[in-house]
Amino acid sequence: MSETLTLLASFFPPDLKPSYLAALVPAFLETLGLVFGAMTLATLFSLPLALAVSMRIRGAGLLIHGLSVFRAVPDLTLAILCVIAFGLGPGAGLVALVLYYTAAMSKVFADLLETAPRGPVEALAATGASRLQVALYGLLPLTRADLFNYGAFAFECALRSSVIVGAVGGGGIGTELVGSLAGFDFQRATTQILMLVLLIAALDRLADWARNHPRALVGLIPFGLMAAWWCRPEFFALGHAFHVLGDMLPPSLPTDALQDLPRLVLETLWMAVAGTLGAAIIGLIAGLGASRRVSPAWLVFLTRRILELLRTIPEVVWGLVIVAVAGIGPVAGAWALGLHTFGTFGRLFADTLDHVPEAPGRAIASTGASRLMVGLYAVLPQSLKPVATHFLFRLEWNLRMATVLGLIGAGGIGQALYEAQQLFFYRQVMAYILVTAVLILAFDRLSRSLRARLNRTGGAAVSTGCLPSPAAAL
Amino acid sequence: MTHTPDMSERDGAAGADAPLLCLEDVSVAPSDAADPVLSRVSLEVRAGECIALVGASGAGKTTLLRTIGTLLPVRAGRLTVAGQEPSALSEADLRALRTRIGLITQSHDLVDSLRVDKNVMAGALGRWTNVHALRFLLWSKDEELAEARAALEAVGIADKLMNRTSALSGGERQRVSIARALIQAPALLLADEPVASLDPETAEDVLALLTSLARARGMALITSLHQPELAERFCDRIVEVAGGTVTERPRLVTAGQSA
Repeated sequence: MSETLTLLASFFPPDLKPSYLAALVPAFLETLGLVFGAMTLATLFSLPLALAVSMRIRGAGLLIHGLSVFRAVPDLTLAILCVIAFGLGPGAGLVALVLYYTAAMSKVFADLLETAPRGPVEALAATGASRLQVALYGLLPLTRADLFNYGAFAFECALRSSVIVGAVGGGGIGTELVGSLAGFDFQRATTQILMLVLLIAALDRLADWARNHPRALVGLIPFGLMAAWWCRPEFFALGHAFHVLGDMLPPSLPTDALQDLPRLVLETLWMAVAGTLGAAIIGLIAGLGASRRVSPAWLVFLTRRILELLRTIPEVVWGLVIVAVAGIGPVAGAWALGLHTFGTFGRLFADTLDHVPEAPGRAIASTGASRLMVGLYAVLPQSLKPVATHFLFRLEWNLRMATVLGLIGAGGIGQALYEAQQLFFYRQVMAYILVTAVLILAFDRLSRSLRARLNRTGGAAVSTGCLPSPAAAL
Repeated sequence: MTHTPDMSERDGAAGADAPLLCLEDVSVAPSDAADPVLSRVSLEVRAGECIALVGASGAGKTTLLRTIGTLLPVRAGRLTVAGQEPSALSEADLRALRTRIGLITQSHDLVDSLRVDKNVMAGALGRWTNVHALRFLLWSKDEELAEARAALEAVGIADKLMNRTSALSGGERQRVSIARALIQAPALLLADEPVASLDPETAEDVLALLTSLARARGMALITSLHQPELAERFCDRIVEVAGGTVTERPRLVTAGQSA
């Protein structure tokens, strides 16, 4: 116990010497430029793709399905593959982030566009508007708030992913952080974590402003493209990349590893489910506390800052700290996932609560109900569907994160992958990557059918039942 | 209005004597397996006529209007609008036909996150190119705003042009959705319970506005109504929807034509 406290104490006080802070600036600029450039490209790729799916353009759905391969590969693994292909530095990080977030955002954007209320969409189609016009004048503005929320959320995630990408030599603040942690330079690690927290808080303010000035985002595109150009890969060793890929084929596992496989898969699954479920339960309560509609301003402020702190620190960083303090194993992994996910859920649930239609809440408030009752009887029931969607998406995400956490000693299939990688058993590495991908894709499919069922049950109450959808009538 | 796109030309295409809308033994069902909501419905509507659909909730008034609006497929029988059969048309031709049919719904179906001017000019999408539609979202030309203002003026709320749609009252929202239909300059205007969600006074104002606009612009109007007395006062013909089919009901008083 005293050892744990001593270890925790060694993270404080943070190193705040001006000379050190100044030395961190280039790394932060590199990270910001990397994330900004990557997310500009990812948005420019994913939004048209999602629109194409909602417009029922043939092939678009197939393309998004194909892209889900990149979502199935954990970002750390993706970054390792990119470092092999593009060399150390921000170029590898840029490619990994663009691939990963194009895949993730096109899927979520497409799903969100599907939630647009049918009435206005059909009214537009009835005027003779083309599918693109229906998308521009109906689907996009009708789902704008949700699209924006997810986009801002994805940007934040990318910033944290860039830490993970940096951990394998993708450049920026991540490379610095891993260096500090590996060198037991915990005070400087705390400084870097604090600066990350501040950066994300600043971006949060910026997102709040941009939400009300959506056209300003269009003006940011040239700057984003410039940042992407600045971070472009400097070399592309195709021959070398193919050589390593060749070493990975055909994938194979020795008998003892094969016998151990079910345990590894279960351990990874347990980590993801335990962490996500625990985080969802306390996240719902914290979401009420962080909702501007439900709670008083002081509570909102306090809850949001705590949630911000929890989610700003990436799972991997939580994992490193917890593994250092409490030892290795899947419990440490579940805690690392849970702490970070709690911060995410609290914020997402609060945003959802703040964006549900106000009228039913006003009606209930007019009966003399308290704020809490309005929350329970009007706001919460209306937000159950988006909350359930967030939960399923996060569970998918955490399953992938659970394999990444394995790399830092949290057990499961990720740890087996990492150990094989360290020993250059490339065929085993490929086998574990494939098992991971199959596991994630299978879960993805399960979650998708659950969400579809959710949409069906939710939609029946407002639509005209089994009449054909307007898109089918187009 | 700055211009009403080739109305006379369009009507000419359908032939001077031919009915604007013709349903012959039309059946409509929600799916192939389900029982039809409408069966063997026959109805003829000529240009400039004003028709009220009456009947109990769930009788099929909305289904009938959505079928005429080409939003629902016909299971059996023949539907022609302006001499064209929607089911036989390509996507482009179907869009062209839809520009000639205005649809106003009880729930107004406006896009709250777009300003009033954008919602009104959405009625022009059928004649705009995709590039034009994208450009108008980013910046609007004076003549487009003038067209939107003229349509809003016709429904009496020209001052709301630049307002936020979500800030409008129920009656104002209904007027914006009428203005959107006017921008289409349709030959046929369909209104599904246009006044059901409005208070009696506003309801009467909106209905008077709708019928007078239809008469002034030579549009045929088919509107479903819950209030028989309003139907009597404002419409030329009353059609009752019941038991999955329609029957023409004799009018009790002769009015409307002169209104």
